Amino acid sequence: MPPVKWLMHWHPNPGATLNSQILAEASGCAESLGGSKDGRWKTSIIFYRAMARDGASAGAGGAPPQQPPDVPRELLGVALHERPGLYFSILRSHRLVLQADAAFPQVMEKLQSYKARVTLNFEGFQYQLGDFCLRIGKCVPNNSETLRGIMMEVEYYPLSSIEKSRAVMEDFFDIWQETLAKKSLPGHFIHVESNFSEYGLSDHYSFQHTAVQYATCLQQLMAAVTVRG
Amino acid sequence: MECVVQGIIETQHVEALEVLLQGLSGVPKERVRVHELCLKSGPSLVIQGSSPSEVRLLCDLAQSTPSWTIRHVGGSMRGAGAEQISVLVRAIVESKASNNVLRYFYGIGYKLDHELLKIGFAFRFHRGAQITVTVTSVNKLPKLHATEEAVPITPAIQLVEITAPAAADNYNDVVSAVTAFCEYLAPLLHLSKPGNSTGIVPTAGTAAASLMSSGGGKTL
Repeated sequence: MPPVKWLMHWHPNPGATLNSQILAEASGCAESLGGSKDGRWKTSIIFYRAMARDGASAGAGGAPPQQPPDVPRELLGVALHERPGLYFSILRSHRLVLQADAAFPQVMEKLQSYKARVTLNFEGFQYQLGDFCLRIGKCVPNNSETLRGIMMEVEYYPLSSIEKSRAVMEDFFDIWQETLAKKSLPGHFIHVESNFSEYGLSDHYSFQHTAVQYATCLQQLMAAVTVRG
Repeated sequence: MECVVQGIIETQHVEALEVLLQGLSGVPKERVRVHELCLKSGPSLVIQGSSPSEVRLLCDLAQSTPSWTIRHVGGSMRGAGAEQISVLVRAIVESKASNNVLRYFYGIGYKLDHELLKIGFAFRFHRGAQITVTVTSVNKLPKLHATEEAVPITPAIQLVEITAPAAADNYNDVVSAVTAFCEYLAPLLHLSKPGNSTGIVPTAGTAAASLMSSGGGKTL
């Protein structure tokens, strides 16, 4: 059973923009807390779009649909850095997270009912910090350096229970925020709160929990981009 | 990719086939109990070529915890070369999946076309290629997902399938290995490409009797 993990994403102050300086400062904070750089990581999220008949997909926009929408307009694929042999697919509309293996994208390619459109990569360096592992990274489209977001993973090795680990994770998050606040950066990290029970997930942390957190993180990142224009 | 041949055998001769396979493979048989659900894309999805896309979900009920596999069967090799070989070579993609996979596919617009329960046994071994021989009774389900109430579609006949994984650079060798292995089974059943049924072997009874009396392991 994997250890508990929290995802956090950078929320810029109104009017502020994302830039790699924030990333560098966050990495500096990890090192100032005693973190030792331990290699790189990359998790990818793939947006699939339904090949739906006009009006058949939820949220198609434009003229009102001729019939009630019965297929989700999109679904997400998630390839986690820590399990390259697994692949997750999330149907947000149904609060469903499917765990499959790395051949699943080939199945979707053969079925042709949903096609992969955009890939976003979350990538950066990881730092070992006692019982914690920090992964600080940028969110960039595949084959592009356009910064879409900054986020981090905080993993706590000793525990797999979400509830039991809440206190220690909150304490860590407080220390992290205080350390980063000294840099006077134009924004702050927000913890990605996901409703795991809606997805049928239990208190025992799993890779499916991580996939759901990434989907929620992405939603919040996209909302922040929309607000900033 | 995989290479595949199929054949049918009378249920009364299955035990003899099992003896023969045991002798040829040298491995213990595995129990097979697979709930196979065939799904097709619904009318809301547009697929290139206009035919609905099909996917099979296989639930292995032989283990204490059911496990799911997604299986897509692609097109088979065509052309003069394909016509000349007696084994079907086709594209296959499989993925393990969590047990909410049926809800997932319903959620993305797929509908249940039909479902079957396959009950029998399999032998997996290496003989020139990694070969799996599966002997099953194919059962229909009178009510939705009612695997406990399955009834054989053809009680007196069982399906034999031989499959072997292959790749673009070795399928000829795999075809040869499968073809060679089929020769050993010829006294009991004809094996051919799926869809090219050649019926039962008329003298299978004699061969079966010989196998059962000798206790297996002897050359027919």
